[in-house]
Amino acid sequence: MNGSRKKFFQHDNIGYLFVLPALIFMVALIGYPIISNFILSFQDVTAMTMNAANKDFVGFDNYIKLLNDEVLIKSIFNTILFTVACIIVQFVIGFALALFFNKKFTFAKPIRGLMMVSWMVPITITALMYKFMFSTNVGGVINYMLQSLHIIDAPIDWLTSPVSAFVALVIANIWIGIPFNMILLSTGLTTLPKDVYESSSIDGGANKIQQFFKITLPMLRPTIEAVLILGLIYTFKVFDLVYVMTKGGPSNSTQVLSTYSYKLSFDLFKFSEGATVANILFIILFVVSLLYITGTRKGGCLRWKTQKYYTIKAKPAQIE
Amino acid sequence: MENTKILHNKSKTSSNRVRKFKLSPMQKNIIMCFLSVGIAAIFLFPLYWIVVTSLKAEPEVFQNPPTFIPETLNFKSYTEQLSGDFNMFQSFKNSFVIATSTMLLCVVLAVPASYGIGRYRFKGRSLFLLIFLLTQMLPASVILTPLFIIFNNLGLLNTQIAVILADATIGIPFSILVLMNFFASIPKELEDSARIDGCNRFTAFLRVFLPIAYPGGYCLCNILFLICLGRLSIRYDIYSRSNSKANYCWYIQFYGSIWYIMELFNCICNSHHSAGTGYFYNYAKVYN
Repeated sequence: MNGSRKKFFQHDNIGYLFVLPALIFMVALIGYPIISNFILSFQDVTAMTMNAANKDFVGFDNYIKLLNDEVLIKSIFNTILFTVACIIVQFVIGFALALFFNKKFTFAKPIRGLMMVSWMVPITITALMYKFMFSTNVGGVINYMLQSLHIIDAPIDWLTSPVSAFVALVIANIWIGIPFNMILLSTGLTTLPKDVYESSSIDGGANKIQQFFKITLPMLRPTIEAVLILGLIYTFKVFDLVYVMTKGGPSNSTQVLSTYSYKLSFDLFKFSEGATVANILFIILFVVSLLYITGTRKGGCLRWKTQKYYTIKAKPAQIE
Repeated sequence: MENTKILHNKSKTSSNRVRKFKLSPMQKNIIMCFLSVGIAAIFLFPLYWIVVTSLKAEPEVFQNPPTFIPETLNFKSYTEQLSGDFNMFQSFKNSFVIATSTMLLCVVLAVPASYGIGRYRFKGRSLFLLIFLLTQMLPASVILTPLFIIFNNLGLLNTQIAVILADATIGIPFSILVLMNFFASIPKELEDSARIDGCNRFTAFLRVFLPIAYPGGYCLCNILFLICLGRLSIRYDIYSRSNSKANYCWYIQFYGSIWYIMELFNCICNSHHSAGTGYFYNYAKVYN
């Protein structure tokens, strides 16, 4: 027995022993909760039955019930709209800023570092800050500025009317997301080889715009994919921002999946329904991240494309 | 001969023409600097606004139209933090205890694990990695309700231990992913030579790899501490605040001071004073 154990943990298998403690911890505090969350979603557990020994097993009732729930449909729609809006805007602005700060000037690095602050501020605090700035009457500095610039005539009820509350949330989230996009894209930009740019401008006579679309974008593609997927995952599970700024209101117009799950579990004490919504969110994210991970592993075709471009561009055939 | 002359002339005129439109590098630098300061000023205006608000007297905060520079500087909201209801030191103690113990727990569990994954090519290694990667992408609401029930059954609800355990679930995969590459980059020959000198695999890890990994581990500790503090700050209704003096990194100091100011702002606006809700409940609220 002892001998066989010794044999098993020879060579590389000893790695198991090093991983084991962390794995046990993670299984206990992440793996078990995920499984019990699925079990919970098939039961009918509320605050009343939480400590009962036998919980009713109801099968897919919770899922069927929630898929007919208008609020859930609305929150799925909101989550997707919120994610898409945030990602597009923060990616474009973040990319522009990354290109800007990639230029060599004295303040480039310090100011870029300073911009990271908005990402480092705890999200709850950002949310409180924007809640205060978006307030309608008392000290609402955004309304004041828009009015003094004559963009709007009357103050907007930012957080109390459905559409503008959504816009306010998107703005606040973009403010957090821009530095994140910017820093990842600028690290990607610094790794691009300089000689490709030189050869394209000398041999191919490419101008800056051509260089951007034909060299920067294709070669940056892995970074761009990573940034977009990470942004998608972080934005899709947004919680604190929405919870603090609007609590999903007014009348569920800004309800997203995670806040709805929280509301069901901890405000209405319908633990099973909350777990069901969380599972729906989990499944969506799980599929997305699995696709991403397997996609980056294969990744060959993307690299091949850029390399092909590289070799074509590097050919001296384009000299006039 | 003539040809080169013509060429020379041509290039001269063309460069002259270009020079009309081009700025000197110095001028370009100055313009870019001003531009970047402008961008940063617009982008960071919300933070400026919050600092200014914390320095205003209460009527001025809610004044319409708002003032961009405080008429009178008012430090009352800062001094209030040192005594009375919002005793800063108690909450600082809490956050310090929780952040430190989470950090220690993460490091103790994650360092061997990342060594194992980074150094040894055993079967299922990539599966472990995948699991750790996926937990990074997990929406917290998935494990929230079950953890609540687990901690309730264990009687850990409203204790610091619950928060430490729950925080560590985020910290451990993160640390493993960071440190793994660090261990993988340490040459394998070091272990071989350590084993020739009489170490077994564990003592080689303890005596050779751990000291080498010290800088990476130290850096990770700082980041983890920062993350834990950030998470704590998120639990705004327990009034956990950071005292920048006790932190040991400049960025944590910076971070702490912003956080501190924001908390003050929070107190001025008097909006979220629902004290008494337990740690875990708060944790649950904003865990995402």
